Amino acid sequence: MLHWTLKSLVARPVYLLASACGVAFALMLVIFIEAVFAGESGRIVAYLQKTKGDVWVMQRGVSNMHMATSFISDWKVAKIAKIEGVRKATPILYMNASIEIGGRQWFSFVVGMAEGDDRAGPWHVVRGKRRPGKGEVIIPATLARITGLDLGATITLNTKKLKVVGLSGGTFSMANSVTFAHADDLSDVMSAFGMVSYVLVDAETGVDPRTLAARIREQIDKVNAVPLRDFIASDYAMAMQMGVEIIDIMSIIGVGLAIVITGFTVYSQTSRRRRELAVAKALGVRNRAVYGSVLLQAVCIALLGLAIATALAYTGAPLIEALVPLVALTIEPEVPLKLGVLALVIAAIASLIPARQVLRLDPAMAFHS
Amino acid sequence: MNAPPVIEATHLTKTFGHGHVAVRAVDDVSLTVGRGELVLIMGPSGSGKTTLLSMLGGLLRPTDGRIAIDGVETTQLDEAGLAKLRARKIGFIFQAFNLLEALSVEDNILFPAHLAPGGRTAARTRANELIANLDLGHRRRALPDTLSGGEQQRVAIARALINQPLVILADEPTGNLDSEKGQEVLMILHDIARDEGCSVLIVTHDPRVEDVADRVLWLEDGGLRDRKSDQHDWVRDPVCGMRVDQWTATRFAEHEGQRYVFCSQRCLERFEAAPAQFSRDTRPHDTNE
Repeated sequence: MLHWTLKSLVARPVYLLASACGVAFALMLVIFIEAVFAGESGRIVAYLQKTKGDVWVMQRGVSNMHMATSFISDWKVAKIAKIEGVRKATPILYMNASIEIGGRQWFSFVVGMAEGDDRAGPWHVVRGKRRPGKGEVIIPATLARITGLDLGATITLNTKKLKVVGLSGGTFSMANSVTFAHADDLSDVMSAFGMVSYVLVDAETGVDPRTLAARIREQIDKVNAVPLRDFIASDYAMAMQMGVEIIDIMSIIGVGLAIVITGFTVYSQTSRRRRELAVAKALGVRNRAVYGSVLLQAVCIALLGLAIATALAYTGAPLIEALVPLVALTIEPEVPLKLGVLALVIAAIASLIPARQVLRLDPAMAFHS
Repeated sequence: MNAPPVIEATHLTKTFGHGHVAVRAVDDVSLTVGRGELVLIMGPSGSGKTTLLSMLGGLLRPTDGRIAIDGVETTQLDEAGLAKLRARKIGFIFQAFNLLEALSVEDNILFPAHLAPGGRTAARTRANELIANLDLGHRRRALPDTLSGGEQQRVAIARALINQPLVILADEPTGNLDSEKGQEVLMILHDIARDEGCSVLIVTHDPRVEDVADRVLWLEDGGLRDRKSDQHDWVRDPVCGMRVDQWTATRFAEHEGQRYVFCSQRCLERFEAAPAQFSRDTRPHDTNE
């Protein structure tokens, strides 16, 4: 039966490929929806991931950076730096702001860097300076490309005009971007004199970040200290919460589409093979084996569709990112495995569609010429 | 015939539909077929021949009556039991050949083997024998759509025989074949009954089959009736005894000044191998029945 099922499937390669491409189309929808979501979510925590640090210190009651506001008195930075196990404490100012470029508003996380310290600055500079001085700003290179801006151009942060002196890489996505300014400029915009938003703490070698965070919370009044891993997880969770329903709905639509396409394909395959299946039943093949044959074909079509979808997604993602810079795509390594399981579920559900047809198939049909 | 019958059908009835639209396709038919017997069921179109064959093959459940194949009452079996019986005890030959289009000749022949004890491996020797006997050696790897009608039917016959069934049920086995190929197929079926001890039940319109049949049954209006007689004008094949229309026959041989007509290449070859054996008693003669 296995031999016959597989031979029947490959006997019409064009039909098989067309069927698999239909399934691949639906699965690619799922892959890309998830990739966009993962890409955007990834970019939201990119700043934290790239600047690393062991512990982040913020205002008590605050536990994340994304869409949050935090203020700590600047004198606490020196106190934090003196705590046992702290190698370096780097303060930053931070705000979620809208920056105006060429008359258009762009949402951005703006990081205010302290004078003379680029520890919390851009991790990859494409062109220009690594550290903005007063009245200067570093914007994402992609944003500059989209808006046609170059070094020396001017942008507006609230009402403050800032000159673009550097272009950073990996700091832009559809949902947000990261802009780096001088702390004094941002302090001016935020009216936050004598304040910092967050303190990036580098621990001494061998010090456990969790222990250090607890020590900071204990010794410094009215602050929260969170190990980097927890801080990233908290921001990522918030990003997920913000779009997860939409992504879920779109993923369900993609999966539904894949089921319908696979189901239709398997149904038409079964219809085409009706006579042969009836002959097989007449020759003594049992219903369950005939159904197994239909299921196996569905699984093969779904897995072939998955292989095509995965190959196209991995080769197509960089192309899409190059053509549409607004979109950040990240295909998580576990996606093919997850979709493999999904493809098997799709095949099982899809093969139920012609199951009734198989069970009701009259073996006496083999006698009809 | 002292041995118990291989096929035993008693008061078999099949009704399609209900009430005013009910049609009795088969009406109170009883028949028995013994081991190695070749029985022909003839009758006009729509007389219920295929319905009867479907019921005997366990493909269709009778409305009433009982059927026993080799002592097993098929009317008592569930679907799985019927499938097992069909796989192991019955071989089917269809008018439309019904080969599986994606499989080669060899794979088609071996297809039912996985349904029998031993599976394909055990059946491979048998398949090789059948391929050789049915002259399919050169077409072993060919796909069905590249075969002639006669070749396709020979593959179907080999497939029917692979599990060494007790019964062969053939529905119009010569229906899609030309005269010569049809006669060849009939000769093979005749040999199967004689050499393999299979009970062969053939449903056909083809009057030539009458000559190889041990019994001829006439089915009309769903019931078995007295056989109708027809006028024929035939000459006899000296090897198998089958009547052959000498105007359409293409196989001839001369021996001791006598002209002989053959139904198939197979009979011609057998004759040429030992002409004295076949020309001794048999003389071609015209028949008017």
